[in-house]
Amino acid sequence: MRTIGILLIFMTAGWSAPQVVFLKTIPAQATLQYAGASQQFVAIANYADGTERDVTGEVEWRLSNPSLVKLIGPARVAAAKDGPLTITAVLAGGARAQSSLRIQGSQTERPFSFTRDIGGILTKRGCNQAACHGGVKGRGGLKLSANALYPKDDYEWITKGGTYQVLTAEVKGERIPRVDVKNPEESLLLNKPTMVKPHGGGKRLEKDSDDYKVILAWIKNGAPYGAEDDGKAPKLTRFDVTPSLAAVPVDGQRRLLVTAIFSDGHSEDFTNQVLYSSSNGDVATVSADGIIKGKGLGETAIVVRGAGQVASAGVGVIGPPIANYPDVPRSNFIDEPVFAKLKKFHIIPSPVADDATFLRRVCLDLTGTIPPPERVRQFVASKDVRKREKVVDALIASPEFVDYWTFRFSDIFRVSIFANGLTPKWSQKYWEWIRSNIETNRPYDEVARERISAEGYGAASRHFLPYNQVGPPNDVMAEEVRVFFGRRLDCAQCHNHPYENWSQDQFWGMAAFFSRVFKTGPVVFDHPTNMDLSSADVDGKIQLLHPRTKAPVLPALLDGSRANLTPESNPRKELARWMTSHPYFAEAAVNRIWGQFFGRGIVDPVDDFRSTNPATHPELLAALASDFREHGYDLRRLMKTIVMSRTYQLSDVPNATNKDDLVNYSHALPRPLDAEVLLDAMVDATGIPEVFATAVTDGSAVGQAPKGTRAINLKDPDMYFSRFLELYGRPNRGAIPERSVHPNLGQALHMLAGSTYADRLGAKDSRLARLLESGASDAKIFEEFYLAALGRFPEPDEIQSLEQTLVKRGDRETGLREFVWALTSSREFAENH
Amino acid sequence: MAHFNSRRDFLSVGSLGFLGLTLSEYLQAAATTSTYKGKANAVILFWLEGGPSHIDTWDPKPNSNFKPISTNVAGIQVSELLPKIAKKMDKLALVRSMHTRGNDHPQATHYVITGHEINPAMQFPSVGSIITKELGPRNAVPAYVLAPKWDKGRQYEDYFRAAFLGGDYDPMCIPDPSRPNFQVTDLSLPKSVSQASVESRSAFLNVVDRHYRALNDTADHANVDAFTAQAWKMILTPAVRDAFDLSKESDKTKERYGKDPIGQSALLARRLVEAGSRFVTAAGYHSASWDTHSDNDKIHKDRLTPPLDRTLTALIDDLDERGLLDTTLVIAMGEFGRTPVINPNLGRDHWPNCWSMALSGGGVKTGQVIGASDDKGYNVADRVVSMGDLYATIYKALGIDWRKEYMSPIGRPIKIANSLDDRTGEPIAELLG
Repeated sequence: MRTIGILLIFMTAGWSAPQVVFLKTIPAQATLQYAGASQQFVAIANYADGTERDVTGEVEWRLSNPSLVKLIGPARVAAAKDGPLTITAVLAGGARAQSSLRIQGSQTERPFSFTRDIGGILTKRGCNQAACHGGVKGRGGLKLSANALYPKDDYEWITKGGTYQVLTAEVKGERIPRVDVKNPEESLLLNKPTMVKPHGGGKRLEKDSDDYKVILAWIKNGAPYGAEDDGKAPKLTRFDVTPSLAAVPVDGQRRLLVTAIFSDGHSEDFTNQVLYSSSNGDVATVSADGIIKGKGLGETAIVVRGAGQVASAGVGVIGPPIANYPDVPRSNFIDEPVFAKLKKFHIIPSPVADDATFLRRVCLDLTGTIPPPERVRQFVASKDVRKREKVVDALIASPEFVDYWTFRFSDIFRVSIFANGLTPKWSQKYWEWIRSNIETNRPYDEVARERISAEGYGAASRHFLPYNQVGPPNDVMAEEVRVFFGRRLDCAQCHNHPYENWSQDQFWGMAAFFSRVFKTGPVVFDHPTNMDLSSADVDGKIQLLHPRTKAPVLPALLDGSRANLTPESNPRKELARWMTSHPYFAEAAVNRIWGQFFGRGIVDPVDDFRSTNPATHPELLAALASDFREHGYDLRRLMKTIVMSRTYQLSDVPNATNKDDLVNYSHALPRPLDAEVLLDAMVDATGIPEVFATAVTDGSAVGQAPKGTRAINLKDPDMYFSRFLELYGRPNRGAIPERSVHPNLGQALHMLAGSTYADRLGAKDSRLARLLESGASDAKIFEEFYLAALGRFPEPDEIQSLEQTLVKRGDRETGLREFVWALTSSREFAENH
Repeated sequence: MAHFNSRRDFLSVGSLGFLGLTLSEYLQAAATTSTYKGKANAVILFWLEGGPSHIDTWDPKPNSNFKPISTNVAGIQVSELLPKIAKKMDKLALVRSMHTRGNDHPQATHYVITGHEINPAMQFPSVGSIITKELGPRNAVPAYVLAPKWDKGRQYEDYFRAAFLGGDYDPMCIPDPSRPNFQVTDLSLPKSVSQASVESRSAFLNVVDRHYRALNDTADHANVDAFTAQAWKMILTPAVRDAFDLSKESDKTKERYGKDPIGQSALLARRLVEAGSRFVTAAGYHSASWDTHSDNDKIHKDRLTPPLDRTLTALIDDLDERGLLDTTLVIAMGEFGRTPVINPNLGRDHWPNCWSMALSGGGVKTGQVIGASDDKGYNVADRVVSMGDLYATIYKALGIDWRKEYMSPIGRPIKIANSLDDRTGEPIAELLG
């Protein structure tokens, strides 16, 4: 091999050539089996400044026995003759590295496999993308499965033809096969993608390409299904993408290697047999053969699709390396993966937040309550080196902790009169159940099992009675999976999931666990299969029919197994047991809780785990999940671990290296307070409680919550009307709430003219009124309010400016009211930072 | 294009990649080949809450206890309970073959207002939010208003909201305008707030937020400023406050519409549309629901049809006199019809299978009936009109491309005119030129 010019190294971002510490070639060893097997090699140089670079195109590649292989691309060899050889990469300057390669069976043809050979081409060439034939309805009358996930179906559609219909298994229209075994060159499968016939998808294949030849040979051979039919051939089980997390500078490059792992343990290089796509072309692009190029600072994922498989690799496009990267201390196991990634990405984390900032943040995150002024003063003044941990313990043990987390779980578990049987008494019971779980710190897996399998008249069973009806099993199951597994199967209800590996069959197999749930009066139960089903409360035979095939569906877990169901068993109990011991359960739970403390999950949205939405820190997620599992699914312990990490306690003040980072926890990001928390903060800051009335009719309420009730303690959002809460996004819990507090016009109007503000400013017995009565000075009033609302002391320049503004105003009392308005309207007040 | 949660913009935009579409391809797919010259620029939804009995109103049948009467359009008859409407039929178009889903009020209301069935995994934007988003605001007046809001049963209000389109397209919910002390909160500054007050508040706010915003300038902060400016404009612009001020209407006009929640809400709707609103729901029937499960005939005759008869005709005439009828689409409908058979309580129950609604203005070709029900009003006999078809007609009248799809945050395309069986609705050709 010839060495390619070494200009790349000088073209990137004006770096001067750092010193090479070592060179490595990947893979270190490989075996090529069968004729035509190939392997891509990559050379990575590690430098003294801690960076590594892809130098595949810069090294000289040497083969110990060149007659054994054919060179078919830059650093890519194909099997020619059996035997061992070594491949050595030599960098200018002397660094060298070596890999060993074994060629065997080079004269034997690999057994044909439709999935791998044809399915692979259909994926790599983009034929089965969601926008084309892999879409929910297919396209142009041809339906293929996304990523060749269902090769048998693909085979049927290609060899028999016909149009796919979403809602029924019947084939529509005339069946025109896409392959013509009598006249192979006339096959639509060849003519369309080469544009011999018009093709909406454009030219996808060249007549002289290898892929064309493979398809043609297959058709000439009678278009068989091939090796997998007999069940003996090894199956492709997953892709490993190397590196799983790449860091490249802008304009830097990195080649990906894709290795396919098979069911018999062997692996093969699939680097050139997959389709690459970048999730954000503004951050990084990827070429057809898997070379990533950095375009703009940021982070994204490269998705790799092949014969029935999807995998992804993270890419960070990073700034220049940092000389003397500081040693960042770790407080607990959370910090290591976070700070290691930041270092790799050349981002320096901000320092730890000051005491006042920490206190307000942790009070809000653990109890939804801002700290009163005395607490702030105490905390800031204390010299106890363990004061942060002590305050965390105190907060977790406080009644406000129970209030707040009952509120949070009421959201996720949906406490509302309409969702819990249309009866306030029932939603009250359900709420009390949630509350007692928080109070007693009940293990979360127990909570989940009780909820999933809830029956009878028990509190948790009220969840299964939206509008006092049992919901359809598909909706009910999809919600349990979303809440406890963090996966959204919903799209797989009507068709195979368009871009994830969820099939419609899997969806309905899971839904079948809920198909026997009934109610008689207020009692929820699962009708046993061995009882007479023509009872008064049951409408006909209890059967769940697959919407496409119309065949009855039996309960089946996601992995296809049947669970140990007897005719009398409550199938949901088996499901609950399986779900809570499944790895998805712990990782979804810790991810959700993490999201409450950082404004974003390690997988975000927190209940949207999918292959095209990878975790930003997979090892962190795994570590948190296993810690959670090993310690009895203890939520309080998990929360304490999170808030005692250095990561959580970082300041919100960014630095030059981390100011654009939104996903790697280099500094705290401001998060708008949720409606209830914000309203309670308004009450605390001003000292005037909110009156929550039922059915506001021009101010004359039908009923009222007891005086002093806090917004987070309002059990049913549908019972107490509040303009403020509506404006700030209090959700209707008819669906899983997705709170999103963003400024809008209604909020702006309300802030300027609304009662929540106006009524408080001049009220008697408010914090301001009491301070004025006590004869407090301006400075004292400013300080009290800063502490009460913002949890910090005002800066000297702030006091000065405030005083000036007040003096200019003339009317002291009115001016101070305007100051209070400003404070409670400020972004600093409305955000947790 | 869907409104993305700004904090997720970074990832959401990128996540289109897995569909094999670049952002520009997606936008092109969603964009209109817009040559539609819809005449209308505003909608008044005269919301007949509870569901009127179709055979006792728009679609008279022998099994109704009321007789049909002729209208001023040959060949069209309506129930004798609607005499004024009968003389206004040349300005109305009736659809008698509505076929929708939802047996219960929440489900049916959700279906009629969003075009989709209730789904715990997803929230759907309402037709009002979609229209507000597509047309954009005018004249600093709130573009989407719900008059009045519900006092009880607040989840219905949620169906009128914007879901993932974002709070900008939520309706402004105001109290019952027929009350003597009617006042729109948040649009009038408290008396304690003077001009000096306004300046002083701003000055204090600048001091308080100074340090914080220097460190943490997020997209939200820029938006807060933009909304605050807009809010000030609304509060301080007389035209906006006046739009909500019914005292500016003559007593004669108020009488004409009717001095009750139904009449005054419709009157307010006209004022708002005149001032620039895009979609106003005149929902005065909150306080007099059409849901007659008992004593159907009595209640329809005594309480429900007289206001409809009087107010709808008054609204049409008033819009016409002001030259607004061509540009304002008036829709009169509830969430379903009622059972053609009387129940033991002399009432009629819910019937989404086949029901009627009425349209006027907005460039719609009036004086005709679309579709037909069977001899008793049970089933559609001719020309099923789905919610998607009705939406498609409305959008076309407004110059909006009804084939658009929005991308929900989880990456599922949502049709804005969602017909049965996962199809896009078709505009009713006979209604639009």
